[in-house]
Amino acid sequence: MIQRRALMLGTGATLAMPRVVGAQGSAARTLRFIPQGNLANIDPIWTTTTLARNHALMVFDTLFGLGRDFKPKPQMAEGAETSADGLTLTIKLRPELRFHDATPVRAQDCIASITRWSKRDVLGQRLGQLLEEMKPLEDDRFEIRLKRPWPGLIGALGKASANLCAIMPERLARTDPFTQVTEVVGSGPYRFRADQWVPGSLAAYERNADYVARDEPRDFLAGGKRVYFDRVEWRVMPDPATAAAALQAGEADWWETPLADLLPVLRRNRDIAVEVVNTAGALGVLRFNHLHPPFDRVEVRRALFPAIDQKSFMQAALGEDPALWQVPAGAFTPGTPLANDTGLEILSGPRDLAKAQAALKASGYDGRKVVVLQPSDFPTLAALAEVAADTMRKVGFTVDLQSMDWGTLVQRRASREPPEKGGWNVFCTTWEGLDVSVPGSHQPLRGNGAQGWFGWATSDPREKLREAWFDAPDAAAEKRIAEALQALVWEEAPFIPLGLLRPPQAYRRSLTNMVTGGPPIFWGVRRG
Amino acid sequence: MFNYIVRRVLATIPVMAIVALFVFSLLYIAPGDPAAVIAGDQATPDDVERIRASLGLDRPFLVRFGEWVFRILQGDMGVSIFTNLPVTTMIQQRIEPTLSLMVLTVILAVSVAIPLGVIAAWKQGTLIDRAVMGMAVLGFSVPVFVVGYLLAYIFALELDWLPVQGYTALSEGLWPWLENLILPAVALGGVYIALIARITRATMLEVLSQDYIRTARAKGAGQGSILFLHALKNAAVPIVTVIGIGIALLIGGAVVTESVFAIPGLGRLTVDAILRRDYPVIQGVVLLFSFVYVLVNLGIDLVYTLFDPRIRY
Repeated sequence: MIQRRALMLGTGATLAMPRVVGAQGSAARTLRFIPQGNLANIDPIWTTTTLARNHALMVFDTLFGLGRDFKPKPQMAEGAETSADGLTLTIKLRPELRFHDATPVRAQDCIASITRWSKRDVLGQRLGQLLEEMKPLEDDRFEIRLKRPWPGLIGALGKASANLCAIMPERLARTDPFTQVTEVVGSGPYRFRADQWVPGSLAAYERNADYVARDEPRDFLAGGKRVYFDRVEWRVMPDPATAAAALQAGEADWWETPLADLLPVLRRNRDIAVEVVNTAGALGVLRFNHLHPPFDRVEVRRALFPAIDQKSFMQAALGEDPALWQVPAGAFTPGTPLANDTGLEILSGPRDLAKAQAALKASGYDGRKVVVLQPSDFPTLAALAEVAADTMRKVGFTVDLQSMDWGTLVQRRASREPPEKGGWNVFCTTWEGLDVSVPGSHQPLRGNGAQGWFGWATSDPREKLREAWFDAPDAAAEKRIAEALQALVWEEAPFIPLGLLRPPQAYRRSLTNMVTGGPPIFWGVRRG
Repeated sequence: MFNYIVRRVLATIPVMAIVALFVFSLLYIAPGDPAAVIAGDQATPDDVERIRASLGLDRPFLVRFGEWVFRILQGDMGVSIFTNLPVTTMIQQRIEPTLSLMVLTVILAVSVAIPLGVIAAWKQGTLIDRAVMGMAVLGFSVPVFVVGYLLAYIFALELDWLPVQGYTALSEGLWPWLENLILPAVALGGVYIALIARITRATMLEVLSQDYIRTARAKGAGQGSILFLHALKNAAVPIVTVIGIGIALLIGGAVVTESVFAIPGLGRLTVDAILRRDYPVIQGVVLLFSFVYVLVNLGIDLVYTLFDPRIRY
């Protein structure tokens, strides 16, 4: 069989060989990664997209980082001290911190960054409510003074989900939080090469030679962030078959979201490993619109529970392999500290369609059309919507499954109009496991009505419990609150958990030391 | 001739104006909201509203259209809502791969399809004719992406002769550039080859039955001379017309081909922009495509005069 190199020689490409050899050398020091989508925006405060968060983890550093045990640990902070009354947090920065523009990281930069973050992030907004004052004490030391104690403050500053509390220079952090920053200057282990960025095709990162990793072993998003590649390239490949072929041909090293249908092909290749890297996964969620009939009534929402078969949802989304999903899943991400079994039998017990049908009949549902939104360009979400529509039909709903692209869906779901006037009744989505692992950032759980997440559920008890969680003094108290919240989810049905998706990632076996737990992480990993 | 060219170039102005109004209006009424896409899944409706306001998307149609036209007249296509990059920069980044793909495809298609069409006409009714027309039907019938996948599977994965995906700039070397484009050009060229081969055959059959061809034969002209000098030149006008029309076909096909082979071209840029509702980028790319199409048509009209001196402008 004639190989490519031979063909090149045969076609007189020998003149190009020295350059090719050089390129191979640099290729070994380059990690070629196929991300889940196109990195279209690069400001992790301006947008909450997962891609922007993943990008931010490379470029920006955070004051604290989550360890494998999902507990925050100092990262940029050398240490932090909470006053005896719990009202003041004093943070001292590590001395060696430098931004990519060679300026030192100062307390003023951190304060400006936290301020911008606090205008957009859900936990940041909590800080905004409680904040008395933030002020620098020295160039490398600052304090955050609260109106009342918040034990979760350090955890919020080290949160791993969007919006990340990314520390950037003060001059950039002063940008309006609803306007995108014009430069990407962080202090993280990689520099973003804005000059090489081709949105939709390539995002390139170079090792930050000035980065000083903590003198500790790596620990998920905390610990020593040691980098073993000179360059990381995110190569956007919109076609899954192309991505699979590129990985098989060795033109890519790592594919973040291989399509379930292509997993058997990838698994057959000895050079490719297919495994769950993001163990926190994503929670499938069926969301009701609480503003309009029939789901404005709790009896109708609750009627669905006996018919919901989480396994069917997961199989439709990710296939038969049970390693790729977890059921039963309650209101909080399974495997995280606040996950619990309270009332879980509502989803884990035997499925009973007749019971669901009877409950729907008793609810007084008038047979009106129920609009279910389905994003055609996201296969996983489309599968969840398909199963949801089928389940609802079996229960007795008159279902109108409307297929549309994601861009249309996100506009449609923001509409508060009745379904017959361009609104909706139900949509399915997934929430990153890290987000829905705690009440503070768990949007589907909220009961703040018109101010809340799409679906606009209202519930004072849930809001009060959420408030109580912020003030919880210890892990045991947090757990009790989480149990009470989960019980309320079964009672009020603001949403229905559909199972935990653990989509696998595929990578060349030449890569070792992958960091598991959550998002793709580019420190620690090395070739060979 | 010069006056004609000037008139045609001037005529592109109202055409572009109509295209601009049409595109802007269509995007205005189309469903979708870039602010919601930017905000992401975790955002609340209030966040989406704030972003929409910061992008100026909450302003009236006429204000936005007026501002856009004003900027376009100054050569400013605006800034991408998502990337914050100027639309012209994004187009510049993408124009070389698409242009390379299209030029290579046209060269490949013309150099394969015209001889095939001529031979099929010459050998009308024979096995060769049927084989060529059979291939043409196949070229029309098999979708570009299927051909693309098959080529990638055979020549990249199985034989390891060519890369699966990507694009290397011409400045990096001729072979690296060509290596990445061979499979996409063959995949994209299939329909185009079929189209040109069929029209070449049909036109040649008509020309070959003309009296002057019989006269050329009577004078003892060789078969090659009759086919390529006497007949093909006289059959050229419809063939050139189809090549021109086919450019539009190529633009459409490039969108699919660029996706299948992960080529960072204008086709992918357009699809990405549409999916995200990145209005300035969509408007910029559609205007560019329209302008190119108008220019190609003008070029085709001028080429007519080379083949048929009776045509005067």
